[in-house]
Amino acid sequence: MYKDFKGNKVYLSTGGLNLVNDKETLCFVHGAGQNHYSFTQQIRYFVSQGYNVVAPDFPGHGFSEGYQTTSIEEDMLWLSELLAFLKIEKATFIGHSQGCLTILELAEKKPELVMGLVFVAGAMSIPVNDFLIDTSINNPEKAYDLMVTWGQDIYGSFSISDWPGHNHLAEGNAVMKMNDPSVLSTDLKSCNLYENGKQAASTININCLAVLAKFDMMTPLKKGLQMVENIKQCDYKILECGHFLPIEQPKELNALIKNYLNSLK
Amino acid sequence: MSEKYKFDTMSLHSGHVPDKETGSRAVPIYQTTSYVFKDTDEAAALYNMEVGGHLYTRISNPTIATLEQRLASLDGGVSCVACSSGMAAMHLVVTAICSSGDHIVASNKMYGANINLLQHTMTRFGIETTFVNPNNLEEIEKAIKPNTKLVFGEVIGNPGLDVMNVPEVAKICKKKNVPLAIDATFNTPYLMKPITYGANIVIHSLTKWIGGHGIAIGGAIINGGNFDWGNKEKFPTISGSHFALNGISFWEEFGPSALTAKIRAEGMYNFGPSLSPNNAFYILQGIETLSLRMKKHIENTKMMLEFLKENEAVSWLRHPDLQDHPDHKIAKKILPLGSGSIIVFGIKGGRDAGKAFIENVKLSSHLANVGDAKTLLIHPGSTTHSHLSSEAMKMSGLTDDLIRLSVGLEDIEDIKIDFEKGFKAAAKILSKRS
Ligand SMILES: Cc1ncc(COP(=O)(O)O)c(C=O)c1O
Repeated sequence: MYKDFKGNKVYLSTGGLNLVNDKETLCFVHGAGQNHYSFTQQIRYFVSQGYNVVAPDFPGHGFSEGYQTTSIEEDMLWLSELLAFLKIEKATFIGHSQGCLTILELAEKKPELVMGLVFVAGAMSIPVNDFLIDTSINNPEKAYDLMVTWGQDIYGSFSISDWPGHNHLAEGNAVMKMNDPSVLSTDLKSCNLYENGKQAASTININCLAVLAKFDMMTPLKKGLQMVENIKQCDYKILECGHFLPIEQPKELNALIKNYLNSLK
Repeated sequence: MSEKYKFDTMSLHSGHVPDKETGSRAVPIYQTTSYVFKDTDEAAALYNMEVGGHLYTRISNPTIATLEQRLASLDGGVSCVACSSGMAAMHLVVTAICSSGDHIVASNKMYGANINLLQHTMTRFGIETTFVNPNNLEEIEKAIKPNTKLVFGEVIGNPGLDVMNVPEVAKICKKKNVPLAIDATFNTPYLMKPITYGANIVIHSLTKWIGGHGIAIGGAIINGGNFDWGNKEKFPTISGSHFALNGISFWEEFGPSALTAKIRAEGMYNFGPSLSPNNAFYILQGIETLSLRMKKHIENTKMMLEFLKENEAVSWLRHPDLQDHPDHKIAKKILPLGSGSIIVFGIKGGRDAGKAFIENVKLSSHLANVGDAKTLLIHPGSTTHSHLSSEAMKMSGLTDDLIRLSVGLEDIEDIKIDFEKGFKAAAKILSKRS
């Protein structure tokens, strides 16, 4: 659905349904250069499981207009204000990649909003090499191509999944092309600048879940495991796929999130 | 477009890795109509198109999905739906996008059934088509109206072999916010990928070169994922509310793959033009050697063109790789590896000579198909159009001396010898007359 938020048109995917007050809310937070389509196979699935789902397109991403946020701290503020605007008092946050940094920051600064946390292909910091940042500035389409091909393991590269007829690489690329061309470099710079992840992780006092990818070339498994170690109670699972885990292994991811949500009840 | 592997590797591997349970290296044929649900939750999720998976073969099947994933990756599309024939593919595209009161702009030089579907069938359902010269850019642009929902053409027209200037037509379509659908049957992704030139939808008859062995009818729609369907008033079938699935908008939920989701959720569901898993397997076998075959098709076509050019029995010769073809320049640009393996030529002596030629060749098969591994011929003047006068044939862009040749993979010297026999018989008719 579209909302007028802070003077701009903002899109949030709710799986086609209206938000209802008496349901628990899941908030999906997309990664760098992505938008709500990162979670196509999660959003409607969890709506059917009885949750309110909110998967916003951050400003300049997907269908959302407006000035892009230029730091993880700003991302976190924008998200928390959006939730207040939607009158959502508490939610379980599921972040992917950069989205994990945003929800780490949120967990420290706005703990009252957080019911649960799921980190998908995440880490406490995501340093980005100069080459990718430069490419994202000078030739965004080339950078999409690099990210999409690095981001998928062999299953994704050969379009192997249960989703009949889908070609992951081209689809991943098309999703990134829907954003404003300046979005990716801005996001990558935000990732690169963020240094508060370790501190934020150490403040988390609730049970969390991390779903990591064995062949992740964007946020390497090693860094994901360091995050798990820094959170007091964080279960983790490692799936045999690449960084774009919600697309490569949607059913496995959904089952893990579902179990985690049940454990919170 | 993003690719990790090259064309030949994708033709062998996309959409399949060895089966985890059995280790089967080949793509298994899932000859089943339906799939046992793990639990009610999974069943509901599949019915509601929340996650991927299979519930009934009319909608999807694992063998067919491998074919679809392979075709999507070869053509650089985001997703694909395979179906029972090339004509089914065309019908699915039109009905996914257009409703009564809508308008299509289409090439007037397309395969007869493509024209008939638009000119005679769709008009009964209130969808009108303006037919245009595929290479008159001005005419195409002028024909696009506010209610135009689709522009349609073939890269290499059947049987006229006109080559559409796909990149220029795509620019016009983009400017006018109308999707461009291209029938790429005659080129296959080996020779040219329309999506890389800005087309939005690719249609294939898999029956032809992609399957390549004349054993299975099939079709496919490849979605480029490069069209903005966001205008709800203009494209209500894609971005408006769907009649099922809680009234979702395919555009909002599936984005680049919205058209594919629409075709699967409505076209495959309600019309039911599904491919058989066995045929999907045959077509996959064909794709494994697509580039090898296309190379040889092109090589043989070149030699056949040389042979026919020199031959006294031939009154005229048409192929886009020949310099005198009106679209030679554009063919060289968008089909640098060759413009396919169909040749059309005229035989001296007209209709009777054509008939004698066809009846006296032995290796070359006289039949209605194209794109087989074997050399195929047809003489419309004594078959499909035999009831028409020479004048009436001219009206539909054909002449009674026209022979359509689909060059196969035989040793071309044997085909030349075969043709000589046919030409000799045709020459006899000519000499009797004079
Ligand atoms: C260019 C073209 N498109 C579509 C078709 C229809 O394909 P099918 O016979 O698989 O329905 C044909 C068949 O001859 C064709 O030549």
